[in-house]
Amino acid sequence: MLAQQIVNALTLGAIYALIALGYTMVYGILELINFAHSEVLMLGAFVALGLFRFFPGAFGAGLWGFALIFAASMFLAGLVNVAIERFAYRPLRGASRLAPLISAIGVSIVLQNGVFLGVNTQSLPFPQPSGIRSFLLPGGAAVSSLQILILTAALALMGLLHYIIQYTKVGKAMRACADDVATAGLMGINSNSVIALTFFIGGALGGAAGVLYGANYGSIKYNMGFLPGMKAFTAAVLGGIGNTRGALLGGFLLGLLEVFSAGYIPTGAQWRDVVSFGVLIAVLLIRPAGLLGASTGEKV
Amino acid sequence: MRISHRPVALVFAAVLGAACRPSEKVVKIAVAVPLTGDMGTEGQGLRRGVTMALEEINASHRYPFRLEAAPFDDRADPKEAVNVANLIVSDPEILAVVGPYNSGCGIPAAKVYARSSVAMVSPAATNPEVTAQQLSPEWTGPKNVFRVVPTDDVQGEAAARFAYRRLGKRRMALVHDKTPYGQGIAEQFQKTFTALGGRVVTVDGISVGDKDFKALLTKIKSDAASAEGVYFGGLYTEAGLILKQMKELAMTPRLIFISGDGSKTPGIFDVAGDAADGAYLSIVGIPVEDLPSAREFIVRYKKRWTAAGEELRPFDHFGYEATMIVSEALARMAPTPAQLPLDRAAMIAQLRKTDYMGMLGRTTFDAKGDTGNKIVTMTVAHSRDRSFESIR
Amino acid sequence: MSLVRKLPWMPVLALAAVCLLPFIAHIAHFPYLVRVGGVVGLFMLLGVGLNFTLGYVGLFDLGYIAFYAIGAYTTAIAMRAHCSAPTSIALAVLVATAMRAFVGVSILRLRGDYLAVVTMGFAEMTRLTINNLDGLTNGPKGLQVSPWRPLGFLSSDPNVQFYLLIMGAVALSVVSARRLEHSRVGRAWVAIREDELAARLSGIPVNRFKLLAFTLSGVFAGLGGALFALWEQFVTPESFVFWESILIVSIVVLGGLGSVLGALLAAAVLAGLPLLLQAKLSAQWIDYRYLFFGLTLVLVTLFRPQGLIPASRRKTRLGP
Repeated sequence: MLAQQIVNALTLGAIYALIALGYTMVYGILELINFAHSEVLMLGAFVALGLFRFFPGAFGAGLWGFALIFAASMFLAGLVNVAIERFAYRPLRGASRLAPLISAIGVSIVLQNGVFLGVNTQSLPFPQPSGIRSFLLPGGAAVSSLQILILTAALALMGLLHYIIQYTKVGKAMRACADDVATAGLMGINSNSVIALTFFIGGALGGAAGVLYGANYGSIKYNMGFLPGMKAFTAAVLGGIGNTRGALLGGFLLGLLEVFSAGYIPTGAQWRDVVSFGVLIAVLLIRPAGLLGASTGEKV
Repeated sequence: MRISHRPVALVFAAVLGAACRPSEKVVKIAVAVPLTGDMGTEGQGLRRGVTMALEEINASHRYPFRLEAAPFDDRADPKEAVNVANLIVSDPEILAVVGPYNSGCGIPAAKVYARSSVAMVSPAATNPEVTAQQLSPEWTGPKNVFRVVPTDDVQGEAAARFAYRRLGKRRMALVHDKTPYGQGIAEQFQKTFTALGGRVVTVDGISVGDKDFKALLTKIKSDAASAEGVYFGGLYTEAGLILKQMKELAMTPRLIFISGDGSKTPGIFDVAGDAADGAYLSIVGIPVEDLPSAREFIVRYKKRWTAAGEELRPFDHFGYEATMIVSEALARMAPTPAQLPLDRAAMIAQLRKTDYMGMLGRTTFDAKGDTGNKIVTMTVAHSRDRSFESIR
Repeated sequence: MSLVRKLPWMPVLALAAVCLLPFIAHIAHFPYLVRVGGVVGLFMLLGVGLNFTLGYVGLFDLGYIAFYAIGAYTTAIAMRAHCSAPTSIALAVLVATAMRAFVGVSILRLRGDYLAVVTMGFAEMTRLTINNLDGLTNGPKGLQVSPWRPLGFLSSDPNVQFYLLIMGAVALSVVSARRLEHSRVGRAWVAIREDELAARLSGIPVNRFKLLAFTLSGVFAGLGGALFALWEQFVTPESFVFWESILIVSIVVLGGLGSVLGALLAAAVLAGLPLLLQAKLSAQWIDYRYLFFGLTLVLVTLFRPQGLIPASRRKTRLGP
């Protein structure tokens, strides 16, 4: 049972971590809780479904077809996020820190209702790459090739992100903007395009998470983003928001917490979220900036 | 500057004319359900059922006026349901209400309807309290609440008998979605199953909207008490996910899966795919597919709505049936256009006399307003043709 | 110079308008308006209440609804234990305020968005606990509350009764907010919001003032919850979801942080708009209600980023 629960936790954690990365990237650079991120996730899944439906031949049902759709959905979800930034957040950049939050909430409502009214009100079946097989690991745990795919895709994307941020010029610019947008601008960095790029990458990660989420659970719905979005945001904060390694740690930790409280506490399933939030609060009381968050002190 | 008076006078006349034009005689039936929000899917389905019923009644020219559906959106939020109720009682053209969908909305809204003597016929709220509250000494107004769907206790009990007697299961794991409906039928299952001599080995609550139940299912699978099956109280989305994940964890077909009418909808195949095969689902009344009238209903429903990409939801036919029952009561009032707006209290009195043979079977209302139709049929799901075969 | 100072007769006028609403609704044969007024009133109470925490001190609280829930459930449970309604209301205010103080003591040292997440987590924990503690709260099935008919001498319609009662509570909250705003306490709060470090260095006991604001918010949440429970005669966990917290935060931010008048106006717009759309949209547009609501939220924020009625004190601020 333990082996199986660990497999369960890793799959869930990988998805949370992927969503959490999107929150953390935007937060790191603008200190903005991108409430619309959960809707970007949902749109990513719907884009993938749309591509499957309208171009069934173009992609094929195999692994490569799936990878192609995966990439296309990531790209479009990234563009959506950039558009949201351009129209709903950028005009508010000089205003109070809470104003963009409210417009983010508004965007989230609009997108969710838009899909509800314009696409479909029901749960739609999500196509799965053909040839999924189940393996039995030592210890009696069942793993499907889809789960392995999800874990691999999530880790690969995280690795790529880490590379971009730490070892490329763009990444350097992003880190500079995260430190101080105004000063970065003075150093000749075009902060607007760096922010747009950050939103693009964050959105793409959200779209990726949406597709994996849809593939793993087999169906998608207009309101699918809210719950994982809220939880992934919690995970990002748990790890230390603004910190990509923190998002990773927080995501996997939340996956473990949820699985183990549902799996091992008697009647634990209904107390699972209480346990997760309880741990979150406890962690923040001990480490006020999350597990890996650096306590920056106060900007004066 | 000289202003010509003529255009002003013309506009004025036009406005007056619009206000005084003999409007078409209309009687409205309100549909108070969640049209948006997390439960929007189910509410939209109910609204389609009601709309379709009214379209058919109008097409038959049964009344000397037109019946019209007046949709209201309560978002499955109890506060909004009370807002909606206050709005509905403010409109004298509205004769009766079909709704709400949730028990949490039905309980407070019924009180508002009662104060204005508006009949409320719920197609989906299954908590006994929705109607039972009318017997309380604190109830003000007439006993205006009816429902065409049986309460939680009926289905849970039938499913427990089925599991114990028919399938010979002795140890069941219980999962419900912590909603009044899901928890209600699960508790009743537990009561009957234990009374019969079976053992409920675990009881767990999940949350609606969650997708990952593998931790819980792994626990049930490896529990020392080794359950022989899972009874789930909840709706088809979670039911479908549980079925899919039970299959992925290699629990089915060793463990059986039983659930209620909230899961018996083609939607479960969208979520679970072929993992839904072999799931036992109880439904109220004679199975729709087995009744000639109901078979026709399904054909008409598909004709009317499938073009819009919509499929039959678990409670749509209850919405249709509730509307038909309201229409029957209206017919007994023998209304004439001169009587408009119609007397709402008379509607309640006529609804009480209901004896309607419809696609759910025969519906009569007891003193509380609950349906006397308590037949429960078990069905088994087949993903190949997205059908449910009833078990006799 | 605040708007109220400029227009000294405005409070009187507002009061008159508030009292007139039931008559207007009666004459117009549209009693629904009284219900709308009452619901808007509840959100005004919550908006003014949260304004103490979020508006004056700038503490980002995303879990305010928890204390509303605690107030409502305390009332329901007290009424079932045969307490009188006024006693139940007092108990609700007491319990909600005490809980708020207790929570505040433990979490107020957190900063900014970390506080937001912790309060959000607390609110979800509260709702789930209410949903899970079937023995005390009857779980998802909810609790019935015996009818209480206050102000029976004014009207026999419970909606009118509760409308007037809620508006009385709103008046109380507005008066206390404005009295505090212009006191030493209020100035200290704003100082903390604008620059906590400077405030601390100026000798303001920052932690104590933060806790005071946070706790005071609890009074109005508890009162609002109690009135809500008595009016609806039914409480269920479904009423206290995360979305409601977001709505209240939006009211305070959209009104203008720290602006009481703004919070009142924003409550009227954000809580009233969906209700009026419900009444006015025709059958084919009713589904678009929340789409319009979301668009309104975005557009109002874009055009008035400082809020509908920015607080007078913010204008004196230098810099961005």
